[in-house]
Formats: sequence, C-alpha cells, structure tokens
Amino acid sequence: MRTLGIALEGARALSAYKLRTFFMMAGTVVGIAALIAIMAVGKGTEARVMKRVNNWGPQAIMLISGGGKDLPPPDITVTTLTLEDAEAVRNSIDNLELVSPMAWKFYLGLKREANQIRSVVWGVEPNWHQAYDWYVSEGEGISAEDVATLDRVCVIGKTVREELFGEEDPFGKRIYLNNVGLTVKGILEERGTSPGGGDFDNRIILPITTAMRRVLNVDYIGAVRIITKDPSLIPGQVRAIRELMHRRHHITPPEEDDFRIITPMIIADLARGISRTLWILLMVLAVLSLLVGGVVMMNILLMSVSARREEIGLKRALGAKRKDIFIQFLTESLAVTLLGMVLGSFLGWGVSAIIATTTKMPVILSWQPFTIAVIFALLIGTFFGVQPARRAARLHPVEALR
Amino acid sequence: MIVLENIEKTYENAGQKTPVLKGISFQIKAGEYVAIMGPSGSGKTTLMNIIGCLDKPTVGNYYLEGLDTVKLEDEALSQVRNRKIGFVFQLFHLLQRTTTLKNVMLPLIYAEKYPSNAEEIARKALAAVGLADRIHYRPNQLSGGEQQRVAIARALVNDPAIILADEPTGNLDSRSGIEILAIFKSLNEQGRTIVLISHDRSVAEHAGRILLLKDGKITGEEMVAEPRDAEEELRVLGQKEEDA
Repeated sequence: MRTLGIALEGARALSAYKLRTFFMMAGTVVGIAALIAIMAVGKGTEARVMKRVNNWGPQAIMLISGGGKDLPPPDITVTTLTLEDAEAVRNSIDNLELVSPMAWKFYLGLKREANQIRSVVWGVEPNWHQAYDWYVSEGEGISAEDVATLDRVCVIGKTVREELFGEEDPFGKRIYLNNVGLTVKGILEERGTSPGGGDFDNRIILPITTAMRRVLNVDYIGAVRIITKDPSLIPGQVRAIRELMHRRHHITPPEEDDFRIITPMIIADLARGISRTLWILLMVLAVLSLLVGGVVMMNILLMSVSARREEIGLKRALGAKRKDIFIQFLTESLAVTLLGMVLGSFLGWGVSAIIATTTKMPVILSWQPFTIAVIFALLIGTFFGVQPARRAARLHPVEALR
Repeated sequence: MIVLENIEKTYENAGQKTPVLKGISFQIKAGEYVAIMGPSGSGKTTLMNIIGCLDKPTVGNYYLEGLDTVKLEDEALSQVRNRKIGFVFQLFHLLQRTTTLKNVMLPLIYAEKYPSNAEEIARKALAAVGLADRIHYRPNQLSGGEQQRVAIARALVNDPAIILADEPTGNLDSRSGIEILAIFKSLNEQGRTIVLISHDRSVAEHAGRILLLKDGKITGEEMVAEPRDAEEELRVLGQKEEDA
C-alpha cells in the first residue's frame, strides 16, 4: 500500500510534465510499433513460405531442363534432358524415395466433338501420383502397364472435364490431343488455383511413353521430380545430382548449365520476397531504435533529476527514504516505457493493418509480438531507469533543498 | 525533548575543512517556543538541518525524544523526520504541479502506514490554517502567505513532536509574516513545540526563549519576558490600515 502510494506519486509527476513525458516516450512508441509491424510482416511471410513449400513438397527436388535460376515453366526449347538422365539419378543418388520423369507441353489444344480447350499436357510415369501426392478422385490413375504399352489413355483435371464433357459421363470416352485419340480413365483430384493464378485443374496426364512417342514426338523430357527420404539430405543430394548431370551432359563450369535444380529452400527464398537477412536487419533496427529511445529517456530523466532537486529534497525532508525516491523515479521510467508500449502496440497494429491493405505483403498479427513488446518495455524501463533513479535517491536532502 | 551535546559540524571540500558548528549544546523542552537567532553565516541552517535530522553532526550527540539520532541509518532517520518533525521552509517548497490538498497529503505517503483517512486528515490540517476553501487550488494560485500556511498544514499533518521553521517569514510581506507567526503562537498554545530560526529579532521575539548563534557557537540565551503577540500586532496593523 505504501509502495503503491509512492509509485502513484511518480505517475502523477509524469502527467504533470506532459511534454517531457511525450519526449521520453517517443522512442519506445516508435520502436515498439516498428517491432510489431516487422514481426507481423515476418510472421505473415513465414506463413506464406510454409504454404508455398508445402505446395511444392518439402521433400521435392525438381530437375528441370534449361538453365537459369527461375522457377518453372521451363525452357522447352532445351532438348538435352532425357529419360536416361532420370534413370541415372535413380541409380546413382542414395536415399531417394522416388524419381519421376515428366514430359510436358503447355497449352495444347484438346478436342471432343465441338468442344475445345487448351490445356497443360503431362506425360508421366505411374509414380507421378505419389510424387505430387495427387491422385484420382474417380476412375484410375496412370499405371505401369499404360506406360509399357504406350496405351492411348489419359487422366483429366476437373476443368478439362467440365469444358469437354459438361454433365456427361467422361469415362471410356475419347478426346483428341494432336489428333491422337485418348480414352479417359480417371479424373484428377481438384486442386484449384496456383499461387501464380493458373488453374491446376486445367491439365491432362497421360503415360509418358504415349506422350513422347505418339503425341509430342520427342526424345527428351521436361523435368524430373525427385522425392528425397530426408529433407536434411537435400543439399548433398542436389550437389550429387548436379555433378552427375555435368558429367552426363559434358558441362565444365563455368560453362552454363542446361538444367536447373529447384529445391524447397529456393521456393522458400522466392516466397519470402524480402530475404531473411533483410528481415533480421529490420528487426535489429527496431530493437536499436528501442535502445536509442531508452537512452533518450534516461537522459531526460537524468536532466529531470537535476531539475527536480527541490522536489527530491522536500520529499526526503518529509520522510521519504532513499528507497522511496528510487521507487518513484523507477516507476516514472517504467510507466513511460509501458505506456509507450501500449501506444506503440496500437500504432504497430495500425501500421500492420495499413501494410496489409495497401501492399501485397502478407501480415499476420499474433500475441507474440505484444508479449515481446511488454518484455522490452520492462527491460528498457528498468535498465535505463535505474541510473537516474539511483542518482535521485543518492541526492543528499540538504544539498537538494539548497 | 531536544538535547544537543557538544555538536560540531565540519564540511570538507577538496581537502579544505570548514568548521561550521563548533560545539553546540542546549536543550529544548516539550511545549517550548524557542527561536534560534543569528546573522547569516552563523550556522543557522546547518543547525536546523541537524535538529531536523536532515544531516548528522561530525561530532556530538543529539537526542530527540530520547532517541539517539546520531546512531540511526538513513532509513530510520527518514522515519524520524516523517513522524517527529514538521518542516516549514523559507521558500515554502510546495509541489507546483499539484493541489494544496495533495501537497498536504504528501508526508502521509511516506508514513510507515498510509492512513485510510489521509484526505480527511489533510482537510483538517488545511482548515486549521484557515485554508479550507483552497484545497483544490494550485500553489501558484495562492499568495505567499497562503502558500506558507499550506506548508504549515503539511508540517502538521503527521502530528509531529516539533515544528521546525527556517526563516518562515523571510519571503513574506510583513502582514503575511505576522499572520504566520500568529499561527505558530496558537499552535504553541495548543502544546506544540516550535523551533523558529531567524536572523530577525522582531521575529525571534515572538518566541519564549532566544538562543543566540554566532560563528557556529551559542553566544547567549535570552528569556523573553513578554513575547510579542502576533494577534495583537495584527490588530494594530489593521487599525493603521483603517486610519490610512
């Protein structure tokens, strides 16, 4: 009760010197606001990264034809990636769950009677379904027998079905791709829209042999999807695949590669937009601004100790102990940083909301930044408040009253 | 009640020793009204600081109501100031940022136990100095005399053993000064011990006894046979004003 009264007396001093309190608080407000906004963007970004990586497959490595560093769609004019390359990867790289080569062509015309649609065409092996964890919702998927016999069958996405068949039953019916008739044997599970805005369900898959020899008439493939047994092995496996491909394609660095290897880490970096380093730098800046705010607050408090010698001396004369003066001044600094924390939290929340509505940056507000804000406020209030409080408490009453 | 034995106080500054009090002994009984009088530089303020337990003597003993104050640590000394001493300063020393009521309540905050009826106590103390209608004023809205009355109310609020007043009229016009001295007189009549420090004989003569301080020593003691009557002086002053 006694301590509470003394603490309240400190709080009253703050409300009496409003301009001074404002300046003491400014650093904390800005620092906390920045911290909360940065953490909200950071958390939003990480959620987006997680989503993208999960879409991609956290264990998936893609070996894609054509150089460069960008994501698919690949450069389909490069014709050097072959089924033999896929086979070599399968045979010489350890700890792989599966290796699934794919031939592909983007937006080929599909026809059925009067209906037409341009779709993505994938020639696949049976393990494609496992490689993408993407199965049929009706009918059957591509089988080993289909591949072995170059069977004229296909599995279509929901969009293709709607465009070509409408309400009609598609099973056993024939559609035409480059004048090759293919019998529909399955419907792919619905996947919706890609992050890039494309329609996942506008696609047709057929046996890779059928695709290469009957439809596309090519002896090369577009990509190999490789699933590792352990994501932590990815860096080593990527190195090994690259070396293997260099050997097989007679490439000597710094000669440019005719293939690309995309890993979940690359997907994550692309999804992040701002790099992790920049994000950490921003966090450091926010924390630095808090520290600078703390130093400013300490200086103002130290000045105020000098300016309020009379008050300190008087209170000592009236019976305040050193401890009481210490508590009063520490209360002032803590009240400043805690109040600054509250205002900064609102400001940071507002800034996050503005970022969310005006930019494409993902924003997720959670309770963690606010907890961190409270901790920072307490730490800074204490750390930078102790020195002025101690100086105030050490003032000799006689000196202070002079 | 107050016993000083051979009090010496020496200030040390950059190796230079400056003796201010050079062996002071006297006693003040409960209920007495004593003035300590001396010219500036005689050590009045230093002596007041020691009597008020704001400072400790370099040598000597000081007993306040039997309590050996020299042996006390800062914390205990703070409590002694809070419980036993009511200060009245020349410069009032009121907190400008708050109301008279809060100013008067200030010593209660630092009491061992904060009384639940703190506000009531403060109101009573303000009423006792005639400022019942000024409780929500801020010091800068009051005259000098009124501010000093607030300070006296503040000194009274913890029901101290002694009122220690250092040049309480020094910053006031003569009429306000006499009003303050009238309050002291009535407080003394109610049994309050008052120690008044002043350089001004006309002020000191309101007390029943005057201790003369010069160059850090008590050079004499006068019993005032007929102390000045502040109330009477006020009446005279009032008549003069009417005449003029």
